[in-house]
Amino acid sequence: MIQTLIIGLGLAGYYALVAVGFALIFATLRIFHVAHGTVFITAGYVFWYMHRIHGISLAISATAAIAAAAALGLAIDRFLYLPIMRRGGGMFSVFIASLGIVLVFDAIYLVLTSGVIAVARTTSMELWTVGGAAIRKFDLGIMGLVALTYFLLYLWLHRTRTGLEVRGLTDNEQLAAAVGMNVDQTRNAIFLVASAMAGLAGVLTAYDGGITSDSGNRTLFIAVVAVILGGVRNILLGSITGSLALGIITAYAGFFYPEWVTFCIFAIMIILILFRPKGLFG
Amino acid sequence: MDHLFYIATLMSVWIIFSLGANLVIGYTGLMAMGQAAYLGVGAYTAAVLNIFFHVPFPIAALAAMAVSALVAVATLLPLQRLEGFYFALGTLGLNFLFFDLFHNLAPRVEGSEGLYGLELPAFATGARNLFLSVLAVTIVSALACWRLDASPYGRALRATRDRPDALRSIGKEPRMFQISVWAVGGALAGLAGALYGATLFYIDPTLFTLNTSIAILVFIGVGGLASLAGSVLGPVLLIGFTEGLRYVGLPSTLTGPLQSGLYGLLLIVLMLFRRQGLVGKHDFRE
Repeated sequence: MIQTLIIGLGLAGYYALVAVGFALIFATLRIFHVAHGTVFITAGYVFWYMHRIHGISLAISATAAIAAAAALGLAIDRFLYLPIMRRGGGMFSVFIASLGIVLVFDAIYLVLTSGVIAVARTTSMELWTVGGAAIRKFDLGIMGLVALTYFLLYLWLHRTRTGLEVRGLTDNEQLAAAVGMNVDQTRNAIFLVASAMAGLAGVLTAYDGGITSDSGNRTLFIAVVAVILGGVRNILLGSITGSLALGIITAYAGFFYPEWVTFCIFAIMIILILFRPKGLFG
Repeated sequence: MDHLFYIATLMSVWIIFSLGANLVIGYTGLMAMGQAAYLGVGAYTAAVLNIFFHVPFPIAALAAMAVSALVAVATLLPLQRLEGFYFALGTLGLNFLFFDLFHNLAPRVEGSEGLYGLELPAFATGARNLFLSVLAVTIVSALACWRLDASPYGRALRATRDRPDALRSIGKEPRMFQISVWAVGGALAGLAGALYGATLFYIDPTLFTLNTSIAILVFIGVGGLASLAGSVLGPVLLIGFTEGLRYVGLPSTLTGPLQSGLYGLLLIVLMLFRRQGLVGKHDFRE
């Protein structure tokens, strides 16, 4: 039982890294960025390709993968979302275009990998046995890494000028622009930071259980439900609590009723948006 | 030759599905992202009635229409309180719920993931006869939608989308039009689902995933929203193109990803450059 809980906390770590970026983008720019899942697996595949296929060192591969994720996220916004919004497209149009990106990349990855799972890890996992429960050191590592990332994010949002501008966008975009804030630059910063975190999650997932071309969507939708559950009034607190809940739910549901996990997640999502229609906005 | 009939039948089935989806999405402006769920309900209803209860296929198809319409209305009612984008999200979630229901609970033929063994009536047996029968149903559906487009009801649907307050001011309730058009859309999806099963001779849950709902969005998006010609043009052009790829000798492992990749690309191009599609009378406003 403890074992399942720890697995759930490990999963929660991945969700938390993806969810916080999604929440950041949604809260500030009102973009429902489903392609965030694509950014996540792109990092995973870059990491897998460099580390597993070409044997490049862990640190270099991971850094390159995270940089690739950040660049992809930024490019999607610059060359797709921004032009659509400039031409008068609304939230739904941007969402549809985002789905388009997901379909294109899924197809490319499916062809390139022939649907085979990509595991970047080359060694086996070290286990700790504590009172009869086998705990993977890796899961503890993830938790530490997530805590560190959230701490840095907190510093960024609350102690830097860009962070102040990001929070300004969450409250009122017009006002933020009116007081002379460079909204475009802040927007770039948001996409870079959010995508880099999704990239980190992608690297960790590829290293741990491996990824397939549909891992991105799955993780993204769980992260979305986590964000709806946690709300975005406080982005960091909302994402982490939502992710913890979803991590534990998916771990236990996966243990007892594996074939109903997706059903659970989407049932929770529908119930949440029905009864907390403003939940997404906190 | 049989294969050409098969492709034409497939196009006809998707035209029926598109007609329903376009009524809902194009004419009435309801952002439905889970129409594949109702397609699946129709396909499973018709197949189960026909295979396990030996109900004649035409009657099973009519039953599929009724069941899909009922399921559609039952699922719409709770979602109606959601606005614009959240409504889309709710219907998308429904698609996943129905997929899991099909996957975990739907009956299957021993040793397979789905259902096969439909007994079609004599006049619809063989590729050519099946095509002619499905074509007849498609023509009737298209004529019905054409009549509906020009009728006061069609105007009320467009008013539900564009001027709900004007509709209220003459004592009509937009919500009622949303419910009734959703039922019509569900019935057409159910009919298309029943015929889809007859065309493929086999159904399984993977036919009714979110990808299918996205495909229908691509069809009517490319053809054109709120346009009868659009509902016909989209499936004909896109199915014609992807099935054509098989003829040029593209390996079958590549056609699947290529098709979904192409659909993704089309969605991007549509949203960037032409939100009303080829012959649309409305665009993706939101």
